[in-house]
Amino acid sequence: MAEGAAPRADTSALLPQITQALGANLLEAVSEQDMDEIAILPAGLLPAVEVLRRDGFDLLLDIGATDHHPLTPRFEISYHFLKVRQATRYRLRVFPDDLNPVIPTLTALWPNADWAEREVWDLFGVRFDGHPNLVRILMPDDWKGHPLRKDYPLRGLERRFNPGGRMGEVPPVITK
Amino acid sequence: MSATDLSVFENNPDMSVAPGDERDTLVLSMGPQHPSTHGVLRVMLKLDGETVVTAEPEIGYLHTGIEKQTENLFWQQAITVVDRADYLAPLSNSLCYVLAVERLLGIDNIPARAQVLRVMFAELTRIASHLVWLGTHAMDLGAQSIFMYAFEMRERILDIMEFVTGARMHQSWFRIGGLALDVPKGFLARIDDFIGRFPERLADMRRILEKNIIIMDRLIGVGKISAEEAIAWGLTGPILRASGVAYDIRKAFPYSGYETYDFEICTHAGGDCYSRFVVRLNEMHEAWRVIKQAREKFPGGPVVIDDRKIVPPPKTEIQHSMEALIHHFKLVSSGFNVEEGHVYQAVEGPRGEMGMYVTSAGGNKPWRVRWRPPSFYNLQALKRLAPGNLVADVVAIIGSLDPVFGEVDR
Repeated sequence: MAEGAAPRADTSALLPQITQALGANLLEAVSEQDMDEIAILPAGLLPAVEVLRRDGFDLLLDIGATDHHPLTPRFEISYHFLKVRQATRYRLRVFPDDLNPVIPTLTALWPNADWAEREVWDLFGVRFDGHPNLVRILMPDDWKGHPLRKDYPLRGLERRFNPGGRMGEVPPVITK
Repeated sequence: MSATDLSVFENNPDMSVAPGDERDTLVLSMGPQHPSTHGVLRVMLKLDGETVVTAEPEIGYLHTGIEKQTENLFWQQAITVVDRADYLAPLSNSLCYVLAVERLLGIDNIPARAQVLRVMFAELTRIASHLVWLGTHAMDLGAQSIFMYAFEMRERILDIMEFVTGARMHQSWFRIGGLALDVPKGFLARIDDFIGRFPERLADMRRILEKNIIIMDRLIGVGKISAEEAIAWGLTGPILRASGVAYDIRKAFPYSGYETYDFEICTHAGGDCYSRFVVRLNEMHEAWRVIKQAREKFPGGPVVIDDRKIVPPPKTEIQHSMEALIHHFKLVSSGFNVEEGHVYQAVEGPRGEMGMYVTSAGGNKPWRVRWRPPSFYNLQALKRLAPGNLVADVVAIIGSLDPVFGEVDR
């Protein structure tokens, strides 16, 4: 067992319920070394979250995204859930459509989904359907492009001073 | 502070001033260069008289693209960048990162000496970070001299850090596979000095502040949040524990051998700013206890694993062994590869659950390091905590949330 690893709780009993609730929206269920996880389509997010909430997962730890470009499906949105009092974690990996990535929002269930979803939108361009205020959070409001996408260059934004020009105008997206 | 135009609220339904609203509301932009915002935070406050109606924190002023940079550095190099996010607790950040990478690599034989030193320095970092919080929080509330007390003690910790790692702020001392260097001669005398001195200084600060009538007046009942709501808002660390939830990753998901130390989870039932104040004070004492136990254990032996594919060989070996030289060259010029996979690793940072979701695509650079910065989620709760309080209390609430903007904005 690695140094960071602690014996973890068994959440395999959840799987039948999730399979039943999700049907074809469930892509894969894996028991990883850190926690159990399922890979799902966006349509399966709310049913899966429903099952988790009923089971007692009360704290939404994090919503993050990963860009697997040029592989497909390209975007992975990872949700980490926690049962605070039982020290149990669970991970959902949601794979939206490559060209039009949209996922239902969780802001109605957990208020802290608000900023987390805004950050994913800001840095990856994945939209959250039903979010009350989906605007940029880390980048300036008039920025163009989504910097954490893999086809967004690390450098190359600097240019001659251009009064009247807008920030971030130059590089953006190199399409596939 | 200055009143500004209303255009910033256009997209936000609950911040826009409704037409025909009879109340005499005022919109106030607090920050981003306000001294009590502890960095570069701007809070848009809508005020009814002196009472806050809504508060909308605006972040992003310190965004430095740390996550993007991490993807473009070798696994070992990324430690230096990771250190710079939460600049008050750099070793907590790098501990989280190295543990995550070690799990991806399947390294399970970190030497005991390295583990003990990791725990010791993570706890020293916690104390140093809480001392900055204590000094600045007290200063926000008008107690000037306590700042000097706190920083004097922090200075001693930074001296130890400098003595051991060569750097005061961004140590980058933890490495994948162990530590960069063993501690130098004379370290034990210094840590003993610190262990002997600290409780008395902490008790001094406690005596000045804990039952201080001004502190109690300013903090009790301000920014109150129940346990259920704190969980719903994703709060972790001292803030969650101050609402009575005994959740501490060192106990819930132990790492680095924390299960072998004897320490308490500090909780408080109040859920207000004062509870957070007391919890952090108690936590400093518990951290001191852990350091003391680590000092008592303090085993000998190496501080890195003996794997030449991960850790460069010692300098003396490079000077006479061809193979060692090649290993060194390969590690410096192209790093090492990590098998495909992903892992979530969290450590109990001074501010809460410092988590990292690390994905490897099999290369010599991380494919993605997603942070779960505790300050990001803790600060978000300001939207819930500030309304109903006075403007002056917003300062106390921000102080009690203890955000660090290097980490919020990354």
